[in-house]
Amino acid sequence: MTTTLYEDRESVIHRLNPVTKLVAMLSIIIIVFAVQIWWVALGIIVFVVVPAAVVSGTGGRLLSLSLKLLLPILIVLVLLQGLFFPEGTTVLAEFGPARVTVEGLMFALGIGSRIAALVLCSLVLLLTTNPALLMTSLTQKGMSPKMSYVISSTLQIIPAFHTRAQSILLAQQARGLRLKGNPLRRAGALLPLVSPLVLGMFTDVEERSTAMEARGFSSPATHTSFVIVDDPLGQKIARWLIVAIAVTSVVLSLLGVFK
Amino acid sequence: MIELRDVAYAYPDTDRYVLDGIDLTVARGEVVGVVGASGVGKTTLAKIIAGFIPNVEGGTLDGSVTVDTVPISSLPLAEAVAQVGLVIQNPFNQISGAKFTVREEIAFGLENTGVPREEMITRVSDVAKLLRIEHLLDRSPYALSGGQMQLVAIASVIVMGTPVLVMDEPTSQLDPGGSRMVFDIISALTDAGTSVLIFEHKVELLREHADRIAVLADGRIVHQDTPRAVLTDDRLESWSVGSTRYTRAARAARDAGLTNPEAALPVSLSDSTDYFTTQRAGR
Repeated sequence: MTTTLYEDRESVIHRLNPVTKLVAMLSIIIIVFAVQIWWVALGIIVFVVVPAAVVSGTGGRLLSLSLKLLLPILIVLVLLQGLFFPEGTTVLAEFGPARVTVEGLMFALGIGSRIAALVLCSLVLLLTTNPALLMTSLTQKGMSPKMSYVISSTLQIIPAFHTRAQSILLAQQARGLRLKGNPLRRAGALLPLVSPLVLGMFTDVEERSTAMEARGFSSPATHTSFVIVDDPLGQKIARWLIVAIAVTSVVLSLLGVFK
Repeated sequence: MIELRDVAYAYPDTDRYVLDGIDLTVARGEVVGVVGASGVGKTTLAKIIAGFIPNVEGGTLDGSVTVDTVPISSLPLAEAVAQVGLVIQNPFNQISGAKFTVREEIAFGLENTGVPREEMITRVSDVAKLLRIEHLLDRSPYALSGGQMQLVAIASVIVMGTPVLVMDEPTSQLDPGGSRMVFDIISALTDAGTSVLIFEHKVELLREHADRIAVLADGRIVHQDTPRAVLTDDRLESWSVGSTRYTRAARAARDAGLTNPEAALPVSLSDSTDYFTTQRAGR
C-alpha cells in the first residue's frame, strides 16, 4: 500500500525538475482562476495537460483517476447551475420549476473547466513526480528540512500505520473479535482496535523522535543532500516565464480586462 | 571510552530511583554486554549514555557519565549524538519515515550533520557492503521484513561513524545468521577502536564477542566480569538472566550428582565436549 500516486517511468515529463512541475501546476491554477474565460481552462487541458499525460505514459491512470474525481463534481455542477442558475434568461428547456438556461450551462462550463484544470494539473504532477525528489528539490531551494521531513514522513507513515492497524485487527480477530453484522455492530467491534493503535502510535512517536535526534536531526550543521536534482538554466527561465504569465493574468484580472 | 560513576536516575515527577549506584566502564575498542530482565532499566541506561536523559526526557540524574572524559549531559544533544550512536530496540522507529529508498534512509543522518555528498555516497556504500544489504538499497524502507529493517536501522547508525555505539537489543528481529553477522561487524568496529555497549538477551553471542558482561538487576550493576565468569555464575537465574544451553546442561548434570561439583561449568560447545568427556573419564 502507498499513499503516493507516483508512477515510476522514463519520460521527458518525469525528468523535469520537480520544482518546475510544481511551479507550472500552481501557475496554471492561478491563470485559469484569474482569467475568467472558459476556453482558456479548456485550452490548457487540451494543449498542455493531455499531451503531458500522453508523453509521460500516465494517460490511462489520469483518465481513470479524473473520472472518479471529476465526474461526480461535474454532474452536480451541470445539474445545479444548468437547471437553477438564477440569472439565466435564455431558456433551452423547462422541467417544472427547473429551467435549463444557456447562461446556467455557460456558468457551469466556466467553473467546471477551471476545477477540471486544477484537478488534472495536480494529478499529472502527482503521477509524474517522485515525492522524495520533490522534497529534496524544495529543500535545495531553501525549504526547511524539518518541513520537508514532516511532509515526506506523513506520506510514508500512513501506509505503515495502516499495516499495523491490520495486524492489530488480525490479532483481535484471532481472539474472537467478530466483524460481521450491521454497520453499528461492526463499528462497535472496531473499538478494541483504537486503544492499541493510538497508544502504540504515541510510543512510536516518542521512540522515533529519539531515533531522529540520535541521527542529528537537530544538528546546527548546514544540511547537505544525498540526492542532487538537476535544475538546468532552461527550466529556471521557463519557471520565471510561467510565473510572470500568472502574475500578469492576476494583474489584468484585477484591472477588469477579462470581464 | 565510556565511564559511569555512581549513576542514579529517577524519572520526572517521581522520587524513586530506577537506576542507583551504576558503575561501568567501556574502554576504547571494548565490547561490553549488559544483560538483565525486561523492564530492569536497560533502555533507560542506554538513553543516559547517549545523552537523551536528562537532556530530552528530564528526570533527576546523579553521578557522572563521561565519554572520552567529557560529561555527556553537559553537551548539547547535537554534540552528544556526534559522540554516541544509539541503535534503539524497535527498528520500525529507527527508520526516519521520510526517505523513499534504503540508500537515502542510511544517508539521512549524514545529511543532517552536513557530510559532503561524495563522502556520503562512499560511506553509505561501505556500510551497505559491511551489512550485506546492497541488494536492498533501492527498495522502500517500509517494504522490508523485520530483520532487513533491523539491518538498515543498524546501518543508519553505524554510518555516522561515532566513536561510541550503544545498541539496545540490536538483533531482536534477526535470525541466527543475521545476529551472528551483526556481532561480527561489532567485532570489526571495535578492532577499529569503537567502544560498544550492547544490551542483549542472546548470551551465547555475548559469550563469543563481548569482552565483559555486566548484569543489571534491581537498578544496579550486580555483577560484571568476563563472559565465562558471569555466564557460569549460579546467581544468574535469580537475576532473571539466562545462561548458555551448554552451561544449563552441565549445571543440570551437576545438580543431579552426575558430575564433579567443583568442576568449572562450560559456556560453549567445545567447552561442553571437554567438560563431559573429562567428567565421564573421571567417573
